[in-house]
Amino acid sequence: MAFAHGSRRSKVQKKSVHRTGARRNRMKRSIALDWGLRLSVFIVAVASWELFLGASQNFLLPRFTEIASGLFRLLFFEARFWEALYISNQALIFGFVISLFLGVPLGLLAGRFRWADRVLNPYVGVLLVMPVAPLIPIVIIALGLGLAARLFIVVLFSFVFITVNTRAGVRNVESSLIEMAKSFGASEAQIWRRIVIPGATPAIFAGMRIGLGRAITGMVMVELLLVASGLGRLLLEFSGRMQSDFVFATVIAVIIEALALLAAMQALEKRVTRWAPDVSIG
Amino acid sequence: MIRVRGLSKEFGTLDNGGGVQALRDIDFEVNDNEFVTIIGPSGCGKTTLLRIIAGLIPYNQGEVIIDGRPVIGPGPERAVVFQNFALMPWADVLTNVAFGLEIRGRTPEECRAKAQDLIKVVGLVGFEKRLPKELSGGMQQRVGLARALAVNPRILLMDEPFGALDEQTRRLLQEELLRLWEQERKTVVFITHSMEEAVMLGDRVMLMTPRPGRVKEMIAVPLQRPRSRDVEKSSAFVDVKEYLWEQLRAMQAAA
Repeated sequence: MAFAHGSRRSKVQKKSVHRTGARRNRMKRSIALDWGLRLSVFIVAVASWELFLGASQNFLLPRFTEIASGLFRLLFFEARFWEALYISNQALIFGFVISLFLGVPLGLLAGRFRWADRVLNPYVGVLLVMPVAPLIPIVIIALGLGLAARLFIVVLFSFVFITVNTRAGVRNVESSLIEMAKSFGASEAQIWRRIVIPGATPAIFAGMRIGLGRAITGMVMVELLLVASGLGRLLLEFSGRMQSDFVFATVIAVIIEALALLAAMQALEKRVTRWAPDVSIG
Repeated sequence: MIRVRGLSKEFGTLDNGGGVQALRDIDFEVNDNEFVTIIGPSGCGKTTLLRIIAGLIPYNQGEVIIDGRPVIGPGPERAVVFQNFALMPWADVLTNVAFGLEIRGRTPEECRAKAQDLIKVVGLVGFEKRLPKELSGGMQQRVGLARALAVNPRILLMDEPFGALDEQTRRLLQEELLRLWEQERKTVVFITHSMEEAVMLGDRVMLMTPRPGRVKEMIAVPLQRPRSRDVEKSSAFVDVKEYLWEQLRAMQAAA
C-alpha cells in the first residue's frame, strides 16, 4: 500500500542537499553583511560621539577612547567592580527566577481558564501600567535596605511581562490541537503537558526576554535611587567623583552582561523551539 | 453501529436566551463497516454533527448511541481526522503519528513500532524526523490519517479531511483512502462539500439542509466495490452526482 515515492524521494533528497549547501553559502554571506553593517553603525556612532565632544567643549564627557580604557581598567584593575557586579546580580538572578516561577504559572492559568483571567486581569493591568520607581521608597521602608527589597523591586519590574506573554502564548495555541488531544481521550494534565505548554513556549521565551530587560532596569534603579549597593552604589561614587569615564564604562559593562544573558536565552530558545516561526523581539 | 435519534443541538442557549439552532431532529444510522459521506451547504451543521459523534461537544436533545452505549465523550473505538490536520508543529512526524497511542497509555516501544507501521501504510517512510512545516499539505494529512489509524479505531470520523488540499492531491488521497478502506472496512463518517468526493467514497450519501441543520435524504450509491477512478464515467455515478447537485442548487436558491 506504500506510495510509489521510493525512487522519487532519493532524487528530492539529493536536490535538497544541494540546496542546503547553497543556502549555507548564502547564509555565510549574509552574516558577513550583517556584521559589516553593524560595524559601520558602530563606527558612525563613535565618530558622531567624538565630533559632538569636539563641538561642545564639554570636558566632563569622556571621549570614546577614555570610555574604552575606563572599561578596561574597570574590568581588570577595579576589584570593587566585580564585587558590585556580584551583589547586583544576586538581586537580578534571584529576582528573575522568582519572576519566572510567579509569572509563567499565572500566565498559563490566565491563558487556559476564563475564570483565572477574569480574576487576574485587573491586577495585570495595574502592574503593567504602574510606574514602579515611585514605589521604591515605600518598599524600602517596608522591607528594609537589604536583598529582600531589591528582590521585590526586580520582581515587580519584570514578572507581569512574563505573565502577559505567557497568557498570549497559551491563547495562541490552536484550539484544534486541544480538540485533537481530547478526541484521543487526553486528560487535562496531558493536554497541558503535551499541547498547551509546548505551544506556548515561544511566547514564554519572548516574555522572558522582555522580563530580563525589565529586571535589569529594576536592579539598577533600586540601587541608584535608595539602596546604595552593588553597581548602583559604584555608579553613584563614580559620578560623585566626576569619573565620567568609569560611569560610562559601568553602564557599558551592564549592557554587555545583559546582552550575554539575552544571547544565552536565545540560544536555549532556538534549541527548544526549532519548529516555531521566527518572531524574536530584542 | 452508530445510531442517532432525534438529535438537536443549540448554540448559546445558556447565557443569551435566543440560541442558534445548529441541528434539529437528526435521525440516521451508520452500519458497521459502512462508509457514509455527509454533504450539505455551509451552515447545515455537518461539522457540528461530527463533533457530537466524536464526543467533543455536548448536545441538547435526542441520543447518539455507538454499539449500544450513549456517547458521553470521546472513546477508544473512535478516531477523528481533522480538516486543518491539527498536527503539533513542534513534533516530528513520528511523534505526531504516535500521539494518540501515547495518550492512550501504550508503552514507548509499542508507540514507536505502531507509528512506524502506519507511516509505512501512508507512504511517509523517510520523513519520520521531519516537522509538519517541512511537509506539503497532502503529506500533513497523511500524518493526520496515520495518527487516527494508529489507535486502531473501529470508527473513523473525518471532517472534510481533504478540503484544504489542492485538486490533484485530494484525488490522490481519495484513492489512497479507498484502497485503505478496502483492506479493513472500518466504519467511516466522512464530511465533505464535494459532490464527486461524496459519491466516489460513500456507500451512502447523507444530504443535509441548513438553518437549522436537518437530514434531507439518505442516498444509496449504487456503485460496486472496490472502486477506481473509472466509476466517475459510469452513469450511476453521474446520476447520483447530478441528483445531489439539483438538491444542493435548490437549497442555495432558497438561501
